[in-house]
Amino acid sequence: MALDIYLPIAEVSVNGPLLVALGAGVGFISGLFGIGGGFLMTPILVFLGIPPAVAVASLASHVAASSTSSVISYTRARAVDFRMGGVLASGGVVGSILGVEVFRWIRLIGQADLVVSLSYLIFLGVIGGLMLSESLTTIIRSRRGDAQPQIRDRRPPLLYGLPFKVKFPKSRMYISVIPPIALGVFVGMLSAIMGVGGGFILVPAMIYLLRMPANVVVGTSLFQIIITTTLTSVLQAGRNQTVDIVLATLLLIGGVIGAQLGAKASSRFRAEELRAILALIVLAVGLRMGLGLFLTPTEPFILMTGSGG
Amino acid sequence: MMVQPPPLPPTVSAALTTTEVRVTSGFQGARIVLYGAVFDPSHRPSDVVVIVRGPEQPIRIAHKVRVAGLWINSRPVVFRGAPGFYKAASTRPLDQIAGFGVLRRLGAGIDHLAINAPAEQRVETRYGVKDVVVNRLGADYLDWRQAVVRLKAKMGLYEEDDHGVVFVDQNLFKADITLPTDAPIGRYQAQILLFQNGQPVSQRVRELDVKKVGLQRTLYLFAHFHPWTYGLVSVSIALAAGWAASVAFRRS
Repeated sequence: MALDIYLPIAEVSVNGPLLVALGAGVGFISGLFGIGGGFLMTPILVFLGIPPAVAVASLASHVAASSTSSVISYTRARAVDFRMGGVLASGGVVGSILGVEVFRWIRLIGQADLVVSLSYLIFLGVIGGLMLSESLTTIIRSRRGDAQPQIRDRRPPLLYGLPFKVKFPKSRMYISVIPPIALGVFVGMLSAIMGVGGGFILVPAMIYLLRMPANVVVGTSLFQIIITTTLTSVLQAGRNQTVDIVLATLLLIGGVIGAQLGAKASSRFRAEELRAILALIVLAVGLRMGLGLFLTPTEPFILMTGSGG
Repeated sequence: MMVQPPPLPPTVSAALTTTEVRVTSGFQGARIVLYGAVFDPSHRPSDVVVIVRGPEQPIRIAHKVRVAGLWINSRPVVFRGAPGFYKAASTRPLDQIAGFGVLRRLGAGIDHLAINAPAEQRVETRYGVKDVVVNRLGADYLDWRQAVVRLKAKMGLYEEDDHGVVFVDQNLFKADITLPTDAPIGRYQAQILLFQNGQPVSQRVRELDVKKVGLQRTLYLFAHFHPWTYGLVSVSIALAAGWAASVAFRRS
């Protein structure tokens, strides 16, 4: 069939329209929730038979594309804190370089599967669970007409007690740069290991830990994701030659359009409803990835792609 | 009375319908037909075995083990000497054509492939005997080896066909070789063996090239010879596409 396309780097044949549609679907989710969508796309690509190393590397440019597409819309709506994004990204750069090295070592000892499955199960499970319970509580309260409780501690010592305070006018904050940099490093490492942009961790962390205003969170997280995924993409191509330009292009054709539609659709939903839906998606993916750890495998042996790492 | 000339030795000859498989964007695997003929003036019963080997690739394989309720991978084992593609086709089951030793020496049949895990082997002196090869995988070694073959067979890369060589006319035979989409890129060798009385009496080797052509090749070379430029180009495409989409949607 002419619709199947052979990928030059991945060296497998895939259905072209399916990948474009997949890119569009994940792009829509990306624009809607302000996340890269990597946590959804990586497992799907691996399931389709694309070698994980190629999937992770090529995905980085897809995530960069759909994030660019939606960040521009958010910029127009003046919802990006570039200063905060830059601080997060500086940590993210360090984190991804560290993460790539850690992941090389993990692959060498053959435990990549375990680490990836466990990270998905733990991080997606915990974050999905927390977001779900928080957003459901908010939804129920507002349905009942109860007043939303104020956040008790408006000035958490973690943010205000540490040195190197910087003004973030867009977010109307004056906090230490240490927590955002640390968050950036952590997310950067996870993204290199899990093959994700890290938005699903960044967004809740920015809301609950950094106490940033909700309206700038999504745009700012997308901005930081663009910087780290652009770097990851070039690093992966330069060091590992695992970026498949055909795969990336197929995904991003759909991705950029989906992201636009998603960003438009996001204004029709209430923030807590969006968070509840995202929480369900995150939980489902985390549980699905973790399931493999508990089920008895039908094939007790597994071939590992690539030799040596 | 005429002097009887010594009987000509039996020979086999063969040709592939294609000697070059071009991997393009629409590559869906390939089917190649091998034709051959047996020349034997004395018409002794003959068997033909065709062995196709793809470029050699080391294989890393791990065993899933249960630790504290979780299924995790054991330490990976590297097998060497494994062809990326292997097909043995014959006129009859191989064990009826020749003995164990002959098949083992020729590497004919999946069971006789010279796959081993050199990193797991040690040469040591045991009970006073020097140079004994000891395998760290011990008795499980066969399980590992079988798993390599089983997983490769599942991907359509290893195959043994007892009746894959068919005589279409008295001395003319034919064998189908099917390369799956996952078949590795590189140089393949088809070895055509003529067996009589359990011994190989004649052989031919034909070569087959599986290579990327056109855009596939250009991109592959670009990615490997100018990796940093390639990375910058691919990420620029991504950023430009993202920007273009947002501009397009702003107008609409």
